[in-house]
Amino acid sequence: MSRIIVVTSGKGGVGKTTITSNLGAAIATLNRKVALVDADFGLRNLDLLLGLEERVVYTAMDVIAGECRLAQALVKDKRLNGLVLLPAAQNRSKESVEPEQMKTIITALAKGYDYIIVDSPAGIELGFRNAIAAAQEAIIVTTPEIAAVRDADRVIGLLEAEGVNKINLIVNRVKPQMIEEKKMMSVEDVIELLGVSLIGVIPDNELVIVATNKGEPLVVGHKDSLPAIAFHNIAQRLEGEKVPFLDFTSGDSNILNRLRRMFGG
Amino acid sequence: MVFEPSLSTDNTSDAPASPLVSCCSQVQIKHKGDRLLLVLPQEGETNLELPWSEVWQELKHLLKRREQSWQPETSVCLVAGDRLVDTRQLQTIAKTLREVELKLTTVSTGRKQTAVAAATAGYSVEQNNRANLSPFISHGQPNSTESLAEPLYLQQTVRSGVEIRHAGTIIVCGDLNPGGVIIAAGDIFVWGRLRGVAHAGARGNRKSRIMALQMEFTQLRIASTVARSPQNLPHSLEPEVAFISNQGISLARANDFTKTRLFSPSEDSWVRTNN
Repeated sequence: MSRIIVVTSGKGGVGKTTITSNLGAAIATLNRKVALVDADFGLRNLDLLLGLEERVVYTAMDVIAGECRLAQALVKDKRLNGLVLLPAAQNRSKESVEPEQMKTIITALAKGYDYIIVDSPAGIELGFRNAIAAAQEAIIVTTPEIAAVRDADRVIGLLEAEGVNKINLIVNRVKPQMIEEKKMMSVEDVIELLGVSLIGVIPDNELVIVATNKGEPLVVGHKDSLPAIAFHNIAQRLEGEKVPFLDFTSGDSNILNRLRRMFGG
Repeated sequence: MVFEPSLSTDNTSDAPASPLVSCCSQVQIKHKGDRLLLVLPQEGETNLELPWSEVWQELKHLLKRREQSWQPETSVCLVAGDRLVDTRQLQTIAKTLREVELKLTTVSTGRKQTAVAAATAGYSVEQNNRANLSPFISHGQPNSTESLAEPLYLQQTVRSGVEIRHAGTIIVCGDLNPGGVIIAAGDIFVWGRLRGVAHAGARGNRKSRIMALQMEFTQLRIASTVARSPQNLPHSLEPEVAFISNQGISLARANDFTKTRLFSPSEDSWVRTNN
């Protein structure tokens, strides 16, 4: 039984695509078959982040138009076995696809893979509705910023109305130092407001930008970095394992602070 | 001695231009006998004609929110009034209703084309003209003495972007998140944190109250009075009541409220009892 998960956020620029690519790679290292679907028609990025741009021949649009078979459009990852990408069309707009068509493609794809992870575009318009058309569960990405959390809240409401009730949360770009100084919303504040279960916290790290520009997911190129470990933990949690949340704090904090953070950070 | 930590909130002078907001949700669900009435927005009731896609979205959200307020397999009468509903739209409505275990059986309409479409699709048709429709439809006439609709019970958190209007009292079993709006003709109860915008007594009833387990509102409105959250609102951990006092909207501890406050018709606000 495969799982169809949509990665979405409402707000743009919070790290949906980065998280999709890294999570896909992390799950693939657990010997699972993963298909990543780029649902951001017209602004496709997922192939860039995976370093697969030059291998894209057909896109999801060609599959919908019947110009190629689904299997032909899938791009295999060069480093990881079991990871494939279904690229979005770059020359078409989001309005050229209907939710029913996306549903057909993704359902067909689900037959051959353990995980289908759909990278949703920002916004709540047709592109978003295409991305969630086939989803059984969702991963909400937010950063500890008031605007991102507000949009995440809106999107959770829309997902619930569409009957997607299994919703997990990733809080991205967390700066423990700033939270300690009370300059940033804490992860607990975010969870408390959104009321969905937390599946991971990704610390802010420059390596993420380096990896993105190189077209190599962090979990492949910088296995031992803190964000990469966080992604691996999320993959394991998706598999149903209980993995404790990372403690990002620097060594200078006292035992009370550490204890407090163990439950949230 | 009565201890009442009543704090007057920061009242803004800019009262809403039209205090008497229509509190009807655009799509309404009502119980009538052993069946449900699904009332579609009527043409002419709203200034702008609502596109079908929006009506449908709203219907879908409304059904999800109220899913447990009926028995499965309850039959539904679609009150279309003078709104034109075509065969495809009827199918969509029937499908949406089936998803929440409701059965579309009857269509009540004043339009011939809708009646034909409904009869062709196998639903029983009640032809109605505007006049005998009126008991189904609560008109947007602002009248504070008008009796309220049955309370609306919501079992979910009201999230950002959701606006709920109801011509009666609203009870939320969950939070009201920032960006969410609740507008009621009666009182508002939030069994959780109230962080968004709540408007009680939207048809002008100054007696209406807003109660929440935790008051962290963006804005409160009662009748035509507005209070926004002061910068340094001390967060009380106790349930609180917001009401109209002679200083505008005030907050008081919910425990004491009924014992220490009384609505005075002469002052048109809640006043302290003498004991």
